[in-house]
Amino acid sequence: MRRTQLFIRLAALWKKEWLTLARDRHGLAALFIMPAIFILIMSLALADSLSVQREASLAYAVLDLDGTPVSHALDARLGNLDLLNKTASPSSEADARHQVRDGEVAFVIIIPRGFALQMGANQPPELRLLIDPAVPGMVRSGFRQHAEAAVTRVWLTHALERLGQNMMLPDMERIASPEITVESVGKQEIAVAVPPSSVQQNVPAWLIFSMFFVVVPISTVFIGERQHGTLQRLRAQRVSFGLVLTGKFIPFVLVNQIQAAVMVAIGRWLVPFCGGEALSLPDNAPALAALMMLSLAVSVAAVGWALFIASIARSSEQATILGGIGNILMGAIGGIMVPRFVMPAAMQAWTSISPMGWALEGFHEIMLRQGSITDVLPTICALLCFGLAALAVAAFLNRRATST
Amino acid sequence: MIRLENLRYRHRPEGPPALDGVSINIARGSIHGLLGPNGAGKTTLISLLAGLQAPREGRITIDGELLDVWRSARPNAIAQIPQDYAFYPMLTVDENLAFFAGVQGLPRRKRKSQCAKALAFSCLEAVANQQAGELSGGLRRRLNLAIGLTGEPDILLLDEPTVGVDSQSRNFLLEAVRQFALSGGTVLYTSHYMEEVEAVCSDVSIIDHGKVLLAGPTAEVKRGRTLEQVFVELTGHSLRD
Repeated sequence: MRRTQLFIRLAALWKKEWLTLARDRHGLAALFIMPAIFILIMSLALADSLSVQREASLAYAVLDLDGTPVSHALDARLGNLDLLNKTASPSSEADARHQVRDGEVAFVIIIPRGFALQMGANQPPELRLLIDPAVPGMVRSGFRQHAEAAVTRVWLTHALERLGQNMMLPDMERIASPEITVESVGKQEIAVAVPPSSVQQNVPAWLIFSMFFVVVPISTVFIGERQHGTLQRLRAQRVSFGLVLTGKFIPFVLVNQIQAAVMVAIGRWLVPFCGGEALSLPDNAPALAALMMLSLAVSVAAVGWALFIASIARSSEQATILGGIGNILMGAIGGIMVPRFVMPAAMQAWTSISPMGWALEGFHEIMLRQGSITDVLPTICALLCFGLAALAVAAFLNRRATST
Repeated sequence: MIRLENLRYRHRPEGPPALDGVSINIARGSIHGLLGPNGAGKTTLISLLAGLQAPREGRITIDGELLDVWRSARPNAIAQIPQDYAFYPMLTVDENLAFFAGVQGLPRRKRKSQCAKALAFSCLEAVANQQAGELSGGLRRRLNLAIGLTGEPDILLLDEPTVGVDSQSRNFLLEAVRQFALSGGTVLYTSHYMEEVEAVCSDVSIIDHGKVLLAGPTAEVKRGRTLEQVFVELTGHSLRD
């Protein structure tokens, strides 16, 4: 009987929270519209800055005026660039210059006539490189190094082949073509590690940020309840403060999880639809479960923080300012607004004091470094401790306020 | 009978007493007026009766049982109607009633019937689907009362229930209080409007500085004067905060 009554009471409290939130346009905007816009804008705007594939939009072409097997070999080797798109060869040098000037291609490598002959005569081979002046310096020097390495390799292969023929040695090309295997090192041994991208930085970052914005709807209702005597009325009806807290805690944890689902959906489908990269998630159940547990821990921290702010603020305006400033500071320090890896080393150390920073690090641990639940367990514990400590302070403050 | 015996209460240990040996008897089925200037201790007394605070000294008994013991068997038997609009402006009248009935643990069927009764008692049917925040002052007061009735209480603690309403709404509320008492309920009624208290209360207690200055049947307390005259005579003309 008592259990049924408890459930009836909780159900009434939960329904009330849902109804008040559903009619709180500002609260809903802070929880859903704001992060959705941030994710969309920041993912698209920072795509070039944060993605290792940012140069993929740049194109280059090779103009082979020599037309020999050696120049073909060089052309083929110049084509092995992952980060740039190779386009069709221009018809002439004038056409090449025209393409660069119009921004159609960033680089054109011209293999001059007599290139193979120069090599055969043991003269240093010459190449000409046409460059769009708008190309960033780092990309320019990287491409130049690539071209130099390609020429050196072709020249060396050519020389070793001749040496091998003279000395009766087989397959000299293999000696001239050392292979470098590149491997991203994550927590688990997997064939391909998922590289970080703008969307992978921004979706968890703004999701965490928006989860902490439950401070707006929670404090609006809670302070209204306190100011209008509704909490007192509930106490007079033998509704304990613990029950009132539980009545708020569970619906808002659920709201946070809905936020998580919506933001992930935006990252997976809306961002690519708008021209950005799609959010990639772990494809194994344990990692997904770890993500969900982390998300729940962030909720506990966020709702605890919101109830703490609602308890110390005297008006909903004050709560909005305190909560908003607190969230922005936590976000700025925690690597939400500026990714942690672009911060100077001294600033990076500061992220460890922000619960948003812990949460973001946890998400990256799973999404980027293929971490497991054991890797993020300390993060989950830290977030739970933060949330429960904030809740305990909120309960203490309310108990003190009602006892006088 | 509700007996308040020698109640003492301080909000802070070093502060002045909010209640200093208050003893009042309230007959079941009566409307008992509690009068006093601002800061006299009326709200504190109501808080003690509502179980929001416990007296430092003294005791409260209802029908011979200590308040806590009596209340544990009847958790919804006392309803406090606060002076503030203690409900949710974003919820409709119906939703507010359902919520407050729900947090009292009433089962679904009982909840529905109680909400319908409270709605009818307060004549709020026409605005049942309107958001509480959009109601006029008089309708809000009626909703405040209706919420208190959802748990089918035996005792109503009314803290200035007619502040800021027009004459029509005031008369309606006073009539509602009379009807509640006629149906066997007991009312503790605080107000600064002496004519209201004269009109509805069978008994009054005048308190000031946490002490009972005068208590008894309204007619005896007045002794041919108006209640206002008695009140000012006892509590003086000096301004209170």
